[in-house]
Amino acid sequence: MTIRSGDRGRLLGRFLRWKEASILLVALILVGYFEYANQDFLLTGASLQNLSQFIAPVAIITCGEIMLMIGGEIDLSAGMVFALAPFILYFANDAGLPVLPAALLALLAAGLVGLVNGVVTVILRVPSFVTTLGTLFLVNGLTLTISAGTPVSPPDAPVFAAIMGNWGYSEISWAVGLVVVMHIMLRHTRWGLHTIAAGANPVGAREAGIHVNRLKIGNFVVMGVLAGLTGILEGFRISSFDPQAGGNQIMFLAVAAGVIGGTPLAGGSGTIIGGLIGATVLGVLSDGFTLIGINAFTFNIILGAAILAAMLFNIHITRLARGGAGE
Amino acid sequence: MQDEQGTVAQDRELVAELDPASSGIARRALMSGVSLAAAMAMLGAGSRLAEAAEGSFPAHKRWRLTFVNHVTTNPFFVPTQYAIADACAMFGCQHQWTGSANADVAEMVNAMNAAIAAKSDAIAVPIVDTKAFDDPVQRALDAGIPVFAYNADAPAGGGNKRLAYIGQDLYQAGVQMGNRIAGLVDGGTVALFIATPGQLNIQPRIDGAQDALKKSGKNYDIQVIATGPTVNEELSKIQAFYLGHKDLKGMFAVDAGSTQGVAETMNQYGLAANGVHAGGFDLLPKTLEMIKAGSLDFTIDQQPYLQGFYTVMEMFMFLASGGLVGPAEINTGLKFITKGSVDPYLSTSTRYEGKSAKAAIVPRMGAIAG
Repeated sequence: MTIRSGDRGRLLGRFLRWKEASILLVALILVGYFEYANQDFLLTGASLQNLSQFIAPVAIITCGEIMLMIGGEIDLSAGMVFALAPFILYFANDAGLPVLPAALLALLAAGLVGLVNGVVTVILRVPSFVTTLGTLFLVNGLTLTISAGTPVSPPDAPVFAAIMGNWGYSEISWAVGLVVVMHIMLRHTRWGLHTIAAGANPVGAREAGIHVNRLKIGNFVVMGVLAGLTGILEGFRISSFDPQAGGNQIMFLAVAAGVIGGTPLAGGSGTIIGGLIGATVLGVLSDGFTLIGINAFTFNIILGAAILAAMLFNIHITRLARGGAGE
Repeated sequence: MQDEQGTVAQDRELVAELDPASSGIARRALMSGVSLAAAMAMLGAGSRLAEAAEGSFPAHKRWRLTFVNHVTTNPFFVPTQYAIADACAMFGCQHQWTGSANADVAEMVNAMNAAIAAKSDAIAVPIVDTKAFDDPVQRALDAGIPVFAYNADAPAGGGNKRLAYIGQDLYQAGVQMGNRIAGLVDGGTVALFIATPGQLNIQPRIDGAQDALKKSGKNYDIQVIATGPTVNEELSKIQAFYLGHKDLKGMFAVDAGSTQGVAETMNQYGLAANGVHAGGFDLLPKTLEMIKAGSLDFTIDQQPYLQGFYTVMEMFMFLASGGLVGPAEINTGLKFITKGSVDPYLSTSTRYEGKSAKAAIVPRMGAIAG
């Protein structure tokens, strides 16, 4: 289908050519549907807050995954670092450190895991899938060992806790803030532009003088820190640090959010805003179906079908926008 | 029907006696009058029948009851789900079964928040974490939604405001199990298996068992082992522990999956014949088979059907009486099932034990063992 002539056609064409347009359309349609199916969906403050808590953790972790996916890498251990960081915070605080330095120490530890992932992948040339699979189990075992498998209560620090997830809109504020920062970083700083270049054409980028290795290791570290931060936010939100929290479920959701948002798994390009919209689509689906009252057994059938339907719709809109004559 | 025919016949005779000429019209009038009376009598009887069908409760909105759970796909809760469906059919309510499939507390909190936002009429949740549910429960109560705890309760004096707890007294169940272990095993290494330590629906049991064993005065080397949330993993861990501690005297578990693992391990290595004792909780089919085979000494029935049924009943009473008829704590009890009492459990397949979806009334004869 060719681009239509006339003002309206041009505006529509410009909108559709915007990369994230199709998934945004999907998100708006879903919101509209759930709003219609259950009037309590968006109108109440409680509902919006609730929805934001579905979206925020996935949105933050997907920012890190997208930076890696652009380079053709992936981090499977994100869900386990998510569970480790709160425990580092807890034990540091228990040992006498005030809560803010304890949190920074926890983020440092999370970044360290990212560094290990990066060094093994880039310097030792192990595919990132395998590396992060190994660290997934390592970190999980470490968390279970230091926690003896038992959940603990977060340190008693009301103001800190409120900022770090306990206040209803705290998580989504962090998510939106981080998305903005990461988007600017990706599109308007050298680091981000070099990451895209290295992802699209690694050989060419290296020849042009870009330090591809340093970029990738840096992105792994960022991923670790973001995963650790999300774990701490969620831990304060539910007032419980649980060694079973997060895990592979949230890692899959984060990768899915990135892919749904328009970042191909194979790399070469990426969109942080798309990741946020992808996280929104997943959050709207989960929250919306729970609000309607779908039972747990049929829930996954419907969630899976909805994701497939949303993606089919997304891909077709993208093809239409690109004016492809059918492939 | 017999009365009606008798009355009509009598009337016909009466009319025939009175006036043969006008008997036709009069008879028709009388008969229509009788028919009308009969119809009204039947209507009266019918409406009394309709009232009986309605019961004592007048028509009400189909209340939405949300059941949040920590292991939504676990077979232990299948009877609970049947019970919720049965009770809702009886009381004219609708229900939702949601939560987390793998004990993720954040997912459960999200599900509770969604229920509050959707203006559910009542919420039930197993309180498997000491602190995480305090805030959501408070917010639900603030929004006018009654909240009940089932299957697992918050620690006493912990600050959780749930209206009532319907379930087993978990610590006491552990104590009773500990006492039974003390009766079976005189000393030596006793292994206690728990799927996920710290979780409030099973940790109190193992605490109770350990306390009872310590109080018994006998010399035990108690080993507490975490086996994990999935059945396959649990079996592997239990087998590995046994192989590393072949001189143990007892293997006991506090959750359904670990109990099944203990039963299979006992069977595989023929440990019952060597004087090793074992026992656990819940009525997974394999567990019951092993009790019959003699590999497992006992299992404890938590009566999951009651945990669903009584909770719906409490919710309905609260909603029907506008909150005036207060919620009450219900201890769904504890039953030891041994080789002597396991047969009926193996031979019946009903909704009450979760083995079949068919509704049934189970006949029972003979004295009750008590």
